[in-house]
Amino acid sequence: MRGLLLASVLALGCRPADRPATPPSAHRIVSLAPSSTELLFALGAGDQVVGRTTWCRYPPAALQVPDVGDGLNPNIEAIAARQPDLVVLYRSPLNETAATQLGRLGIPAVTLAQDRLEDIARAARELGRLTGREAAGDSIGAVMEALLGTPAPAPIARVAFVVWDNPPMVIGGGSYLDQLATLAGGANVFHDLGAASATVSIETIVARNPDLILVLSDSTAPPAYSTRREWRAVRAVREGRFITLPADLFGRPSPTAPAAVAALRRALEGATRR
Amino acid sequence: MSRWIGLGALVAVALVSAVALGPAHVALGDLASSEIVRSLRVPRALLALLVGGSLGVAGASLQALVRNPLADPFLLGLSGGAGLGAVLAIALHVAGPWALPLAAFAGALGAMALVYRLGLVGGAQLDPRVLLLAGVAVGAFSGAITTAIVSLAEAADLRNAFLWLWGGLSGASWDTVLVMAVYIPVPLVVLYAAARPLDLLALGEEPATHLGADVEPLKRRVYIAASLLTAAAVAVSGVIGFVGLIVPHITRLVWGHRHRALLPAAFLGGGALLLFADTAARVVVAPRELPVGIVTALVGVPLFAVLLRRWAGVRS
Repeated sequence: MRGLLLASVLALGCRPADRPATPPSAHRIVSLAPSSTELLFALGAGDQVVGRTTWCRYPPAALQVPDVGDGLNPNIEAIAARQPDLVVLYRSPLNETAATQLGRLGIPAVTLAQDRLEDIARAARELGRLTGREAAGDSIGAVMEALLGTPAPAPIARVAFVVWDNPPMVIGGGSYLDQLATLAGGANVFHDLGAASATVSIETIVARNPDLILVLSDSTAPPAYSTRREWRAVRAVREGRFITLPADLFGRPSPTAPAAVAALRRALEGATRR
Repeated sequence: MSRWIGLGALVAVALVSAVALGPAHVALGDLASSEIVRSLRVPRALLALLVGGSLGVAGASLQALVRNPLADPFLLGLSGGAGLGAVLAIALHVAGPWALPLAAFAGALGAMALVYRLGLVGGAQLDPRVLLLAGVAVGAFSGAITTAIVSLAEAADLRNAFLWLWGGLSGASWDTVLVMAVYIPVPLVVLYAAARPLDLLALGEEPATHLGADVEPLKRRVYIAASLLTAAAVAVSGVIGFVGLIVPHITRLVWGHRHRALLPAAFLGGGALLLFADTAARVVVAPRELPVGIVTALVGVPLFAVLLRRWAGVRS
């Protein structure tokens, strides 16, 4: 029964019938995902945000907004205490339940998919409409759609995103990082994995032999595992061919994706010229 | 004798398939010259053998020590301690290529010391029942602290730490093999030397004392040696379940209750099971990989059920 309910909630999408209608223009918004917080600030609606998660740290101005805890498994009471007229959640089954709970308290809530670049285009338009900034939303949406519409350049390097070393986890074709790499001229050697990320053997990384390892990190130092002997079987690790990607630009799908693509393109060109 | 030949053959087949099979295609003729085989598959196979063997022996010894068929190497709080150590290392951003295994090893040793101390609460004697309860309590307590840290800290890294804890041999290299090969012979020899007194202990502490076993030092030696084996296993490969629980029972069904035969058989059997499980983990969903602990359960439990049925059939 519960599963059925959840399924019907998911089928209805953002706003099931039992939740209160969103206001024509929200003025007190609690944003429960780093990517929606960034979007709201990009739309110029930053001063309408009255709550954020602990992990929403970009743009720096977001740090001035009160912290209401986690975005997955959110603290309903802390959110309600901010007296929001709109709550924006990351779309997941658990957060659909949270949105229904908020609805029972009379707080309108929307859940937005925020996993891929096309999600950001959709979310920008949706949040633009909800905050009374349709023009800004459409403009970001159009920029993202234009980026996605650009034909991908011919690959200049074969890359692998290694996000964890033990067990080795890589980014697959389902992630926005794979999209960014493709647009920048990097062929993700794990593009065929449909998932956003997956555990693989080091052996598989050796066999697919990427030219460069891409690492999400704010420090430019090579990752700690690069001195471990089993990792030195990977040619790119042995040759120290790492590109570190700062979290602000690459840590989530974001309206700054064009800048991320350009930065990655420059890094790939620099590394292949070396 | 034929049982030993059979077991030896099983280990040989497990080793050969672990080296010959993998997610990357290596032609049979190139096995000897392949870099993948030399620096990844062979050390990983040897590590699986050493870790599986250690868990098998640790499980068999602990089951005899606490006289409880449900005992396994991780029941005595070591996995909780190792997990806490690993998660602390990540949360505090301790850097370095060996930070995680060392922190897990330290955590496991901490849990071992705490459980041992609690096991002595009744006085100078190590009470196996108290030891079990202390193990469960320390495990639950460190698990609670671990979960608290994980729920308060940045999500992604620590979720990965949990993945590491669920067990896997992807950290295998000639370095880890060398460390294990130097380290485990000492506890293994201590346990093997205790084989005969362990047989007596199975009769109960009092009869064992009457039959000449020096029960108190024996219990301490066995507890510490088995825990040291488990701590090393968890440091290099996380918590790999079922090997230490099921392998001793299977070997007992075939070799009987004499520890002089049981312990070596449990070492080889544990090694073979983990070798097969890890090969399956690497190959079945390639290019992705399964956590090996899932495979040991999927392979070990049905095998155990079949043997249990046959054994029950023989008895009735």
